[in-house]
This record gives sequence, C-alpha cells and structure tokens, in this order.
Amino acid sequence: MSSLLSRHAECAFWMARYFERAESVARVMEVHTSFQRGRGPADTAWAWLVTLYSDEAEFAKAYGQPTAENVIQFYVTNLDNPSSIQSSIRSARENARALRPLIPTDMWFQVNDFYNRLLAFTPSDFTEMKLSRTCDAIKRGCYAQLGVAEATLYRDEIWPFFRLGLFIERADQMSRLLDVKFAQLATGARRDPASFDFSFWATLLRSASAYHAFRRIHPSGVEPEDVAKFLLFDVRTPRSVSHCVGEIKSMILLLEESFTLANAHRAHEQVDAILSGLVRAAGDPALLETLHAFNDWVQMSLISLANELGYVFFGYQKPAAQIQASA
Amino acid sequence: MGTVTALKASPTAAPFEAYQPGGFYCELLGAPDNLNQNLAALWSHLQQLEIGDLVARSKDAERELFTLGITFTVYSDRNAIDRILPFDVLPRVLTAADWRVIDGGVKQRVRALNLFLWDVYHDQHILKDGTLPAELILRNANFRPEMMGYDPPRGAYVHIAGTDIIRDGAGVFYVLEDNARTPSGVSYVVENRHLMQRAFPDLMRGFAIESVSEYGSQLAAKLSEVAPAGVLDPQVVLLSPGVFNSAYFEHVFLAREIGIPLVEGRDLTVENDRVFMKTVSGPKPVHVIYRRLNDDFLDPEIFNPESALGVPGLMRAVRKGHVTLANAVGTGVADDKAVYAYLPRIIKYYLDQDPILPNVKTYICREPDDLRYVLDNLDKLVVKPVGESGGYGICVGPKATKAEIDIIREAVKRDPANYIGQPMIDLSVCPTLTDDGVEPRHVDLRPFAVTGEDTWLLPGGLTRVALKKGSIVVNSSQGGGTKDTWVLREDGPLKEEGA
Repeated sequence: MSSLLSRHAECAFWMARYFERAESVARVMEVHTSFQRGRGPADTAWAWLVTLYSDEAEFAKAYGQPTAENVIQFYVTNLDNPSSIQSSIRSARENARALRPLIPTDMWFQVNDFYNRLLAFTPSDFTEMKLSRTCDAIKRGCYAQLGVAEATLYRDEIWPFFRLGLFIERADQMSRLLDVKFAQLATGARRDPASFDFSFWATLLRSASAYHAFRRIHPSGVEPEDVAKFLLFDVRTPRSVSHCVGEIKSMILLLEESFTLANAHRAHEQVDAILSGLVRAAGDPALLETLHAFNDWVQMSLISLANELGYVFFGYQKPAAQIQASA
Repeated sequence: MGTVTALKASPTAAPFEAYQPGGFYCELLGAPDNLNQNLAALWSHLQQLEIGDLVARSKDAERELFTLGITFTVYSDRNAIDRILPFDVLPRVLTAADWRVIDGGVKQRVRALNLFLWDVYHDQHILKDGTLPAELILRNANFRPEMMGYDPPRGAYVHIAGTDIIRDGAGVFYVLEDNARTPSGVSYVVENRHLMQRAFPDLMRGFAIESVSEYGSQLAAKLSEVAPAGVLDPQVVLLSPGVFNSAYFEHVFLAREIGIPLVEGRDLTVENDRVFMKTVSGPKPVHVIYRRLNDDFLDPEIFNPESALGVPGLMRAVRKGHVTLANAVGTGVADDKAVYAYLPRIIKYYLDQDPILPNVKTYICREPDDLRYVLDNLDKLVVKPVGESGGYGICVGPKATKAEIDIIREAVKRDPANYIGQPMIDLSVCPTLTDDGVEPRHVDLRPFAVTGEDTWLLPGGLTRVALKKGSIVVNSSQGGGTKDTWVLREDGPLKEEGA
C-alpha cells in the first residue's frame, strides 16, 4: 500500500507543471525576440503572446494596449500573473519545499540555486536587448531541473505524478501554440500573405525546438499542414502532443500496474480517448479546417484528465453537478 | 592567567596569538588557572591555520547552507525571508570525561521527568504529600487534565528532550533549562558536522571524534518502541505545522533521516478513534506521531478550537491507545521554568539520587521570600518570564540599563508567579571567528536525548554561541549562531593521528 501522501503527489504534479510552463514561456519569448525582428511593427508582434495564453482580459485590465515592454513585464517578472516566469518558478519552488522530505538534495539544491539566480536578475536583463539571453538562461535552468529529476529522483509513486504534470503541461502548451499560430494565418493570410512565409513557420518550429528535426523529415519547403502534423502527431518529437499523451499513458499504466492504484481506471479511459482522437485527426484530410476545434478538444480533454487525477489522487472535491452525473 | 601562548607550539606569530578568554572558562583552553593540556594538540593544529583563508571558506560554507535551504524562515507581511543560522567554524570540544557527566546527568533527568509526569497524571503522590505545591502543577497552564489516567507506552512522556546546559567559570556544568515539549535544533548538529566534513576537513583531520550520524536510526527505533501495544510494524509519521513554520527545515531533515512521511494536520483524519493519513491509495493507518506542533494546536476538539493545523479527534485516538504521540501531551508541566527549581527534589523523590548535573540556583518569585530577594537584587540577577521561550523577555541585570531594570521591576511586581530569578553565571567561552579576528564568545550546549525503552543521547549536541561581543543570550532570534560540537572518543591527551 502506498505511503505517498495525496498532498505530496499533488505537489510533484504541480512542481513539474510550473517548471514546464516557465520553460515554455521562456522558450517562446526567446525564439520570438530572436527571429521575429524586422518583421513589421514590434507592438503587434507582441500582442499574439497575450492571445497565446488567453490572457486578453487580464492583460487589458492591467496594461491596456500591449507593447514590447509591458508584455515582457507581464510574462516574465509580474508576480500578480500566475503564469509569468517568475511566478511559475516561485510556485515550483514552493511545491518543491513542500516535497523537500521526498526529493533528493540535488534537486532541492538546483531549485534554490535557480530561484536565487532568478531573483538576482535586474530590470535591465529584461529589456528587449537582453531578453533573448535572459530567457535562454531561464530555459536552461528549467532543463537542468528536469535533468536532475531524471538523474536523481527515486522511482516510487512520486515519479509518475511528476511526469504526468510535466507532459500534461507540455501537451497543453504545444496545442495552444499551434492554435494561435494557425489563427494568425486564418485571419491575416488574406490581408498580408507575405508575412506567412517560410520564416513564420520556421519560427513556430523553433518555438518547439523542432526546426532541425522537421528539416530532416521535410528537407525542402515548409507547408503549414506538415508543420501542424509534425507538432501534433510525430511521436518522435518530444514536444508533440502525441508524444506527450503517449508518455501520459505510460505513467498511468505505471500507476495501475507497478503501484497497483486501481482507481486510475477512469484516467486510463480518458487518456485512451485522447490517443484515439489523435489517431483520427492524423488521418483527417481536412485537418487544417477543423484545427481550432481539434485543439480546443485536446485542451479540454487535458483539463478533464488533470481534474480526474485531482479527484482520485489529490483529494479534490468534485463539483456537485459532476457527483450527480457520475452517480 | 592562562593564555594561548602557554600552549603554543609554534614560535612564530599565529592566528590565535591574541586570543584571551578574559577570565572565563574556555572550552578549548580550560580554566584560567588550570589549562586543559589534553587539547594542546588541537591548539597547535589551529595555530597553523590561516585566518583569511578560514574566513573565506566560512563565507562559502554559509552560502552553501543557504542554497541547500538549511534555513529558518522569517515572515514579514509579504515576503518570506530565508535565513541561515550563522555557523562558526571553530569547534567546541568536550572531552570524554565531560561527556560522561553530561550523558549520565541528562539520562537521570529524563528518567526523573518521566516518572514525575506519570505520577502527576495518575496518583499525584508528589503533590499529595506536599513535596511540590499542588497549585504549581494543577493550576499550570500546561497541565492537561485530559491526560489523567492515560498510560503512555513504556511510561514515556518525554521521548525527545533537549536539555540546556551551561558551564561556569570553574568548568562545572549546570542545567539551565529542560525542554520536554518539542525541542528543536538537532538538525543543525548533524548538518554542522556534515558541513565541517565537507568544507573544513583539515580542521578535523586525524582527531578521533564521536559520530553524530546515528541520530536518525536511534530516533526511529525509539519511536517504534512506543507504538501502541500489538502493532508490530508501526507507521510512524512526523506532524509539522507546515512550510510556514520557522523550523520546517528541521522537520524535513528528521522525516528524511528516519524515512517517514512528513505530514500536516490536513493530511490526517480520525475515524472510529483511529488515525489515518490520506495517501494516493486511500486512508492508511498511523500508529506513532512525532509531533512538532504544540499541545494547543493538536486537536481543535479539545484544545484551541481555532487551530487549523491540528487533527480533530486526535486526543480520542490517543486516549483509546490507538496512536502514540511523541512527546506526549502535557509534558509542559515538567519543563516549566518554575517547576525547574524543584527538579533536584523531583530527582531525589523518584530516584533517591542526588542530581548528577546541578541546577542553577533559582529564586521563585511566586514565593514571598524569593520575590523580595529578586526585587532587591535585580541588578545582579538574570530574571526570566516562566512562560516564554526563545530568549524573549529576559532581563540580564548586570548588563541592563536603569530603564530596563525599572521595566522588569514593574513586570515582576505585576505578576510575580510569572518570573524566576537566577544569579548570573559566567558562561564559558569558545574561540570564535569574528570580524576582529579570533575572539572569545559565550556558548551553551543542548544535548538531545531520545527515549523509548531506554534513553540514548546524541554525542555532543547543539552548541549555540552568542555572536555579539559580551552577550550571554545564545538564541537564534537574538543574534546567536552555532558551532560543531566534538566529543572526544578517548580519555587523555587528544592525539592527531598520522600527524
């Protein structure tokens, strides 16, 4: 019988999610500042980031119109924004602190060292001039975090919960990124077709650290549909949705089989449904027309899966309506 | 007067050349008129060190403590500030003979305290025959009537004790305070040693010192020994108030050392008078709780109803004998500063022995004669509130200003029963690295004793050092730091092996 406290399982799940989220924001910003330069008015170029994280309302309330400066502030240093890089790392560290009795010293050392380095950044590190370098450092800090977990974390029940948080977040981030980029294509292509050239799609691939891998599979040209399929369905791409959901499935199997947690069966059914949905979509000739609906469905399914994990393992209370529905 | 020069082997100027213990007993040199020749080898070893280098390395070491999160947390309105407990690299050394006295004395005390608590919570012989004033116990805020008639496994109430010990100018040890509730600090003992081994191997090289690494396994064994009868493979947990508690690092340290879950109140539930923890595979029975939560917060059904940190129904499970708390509820009547004054009588009463470790002479302000003496001698005495800990509210008469004396006079007059007075002891000193070089600073010692079937002491204990020049208050909240504490394995002169 497992001795892993529900609270600790939840902390492991969220610690990984927050690291992944910080890394994702840092990577998208880094790629964006590096590769989007010289492509028209800078301010509209930053507006899409607000769309990416569905923060339009929050952002408008706090800042009004997006500018390079306030978008960077909102997503990097603003502690009132729970998804900013600094908020995410701080939350990851708080979870790590609660998990301190279970994680190796190396892992805790890494979190603290990283967090203290983050606190040592000054406003000048977040100006457009230095942003790319700063985001790169943050990204590497997050990679180091995953690396030290991989190298040192004991593989008891805490491991699958850590990995579940990581891959649910990563799949969600990938789906959102694709959704926003294809929405830009849909609304902007007629008005300004020239801006959806090779470089636009290359930037998207780079945002997923997938540009060179894509090149190896598709040596010439960049077709939007190839990009979408690569980032959604290529299981060899560590950020593709299919890859992430496959990892989620194997972690749920680990919980069920190695740790005999029978109450994982609903989560198991849910992840199977997402996998089938991915297989169906991969064979859909009209994928690009239905891409937005599909991404919506992916994101909703992931939310529902995370909730299910919360109900059975973390001790979340089901909302009254759901209790009735499942009764 | 003893000086370092008397023991110095090197003819050239050395870092400790200017060190003068100033008439106090020095933990490394001995008494001013009776130098401790046994530690001469350590002295000559220290003399070879380069101070600049030591300072640089000790800064590195403190940075390391910070990154490792070996910190206590100070909370202000919005921010949580992590602070390390300052660490001084120059060790405090106890000879094997010193240690025999402390080991025997603390064990005797813990035994007496447990027998006393059993009596208080059962037949109360010691109160009925007038050996102790009954109202001192029965009206004590820390007396818990809920514990009457409850039989803790193996008669152990105080499973973990931290006894504060000081040493006077002649080198005699005295007990200053018993901590029988939830004493803290043991994690620093072990972490300080680890730090010493990592960062200052040259300081320790070749000396035969008792290990401190056994604490976790001893504690685990003792906690299992006090499991409810019939439980063969008890689930032990450590109950912490949570990450916001200033001692959270220590809770983490202990849970890791023993390999037990670190739980908070919200992780536990009581059903049918049994305690369970909420795990990913459902409720799991819990048998022993090493709690680092004060009595008041443990069970909102019985104690503070506002407490969100505790577990409703916990005391029902305790009284039914389904779970053991370590330490037991209600031990506060034994380590009260007023009860402390009676400890020699308590030892005599239950063990028919004289105390191995004497008390500091204590004037109990609840008693009219003592009160008069204290009020007449405020400038000579250390006056302490009985209910406080952490060094708060203490007035050190000989060092106090006139205004401070007036304040304490009013406080004592207003509520005499809340105060005790003690003569100021010339606390021993230990060479300490300061901004002005190596200087004497006052130290105390808190050895840790764990009790199940019997009692075991961690060799050494926590040496706290008052880093402020001249200060005798060693608490971390009052500018105190810590030192590694060495207990020598063998009698006779300390030998540097292979040197």
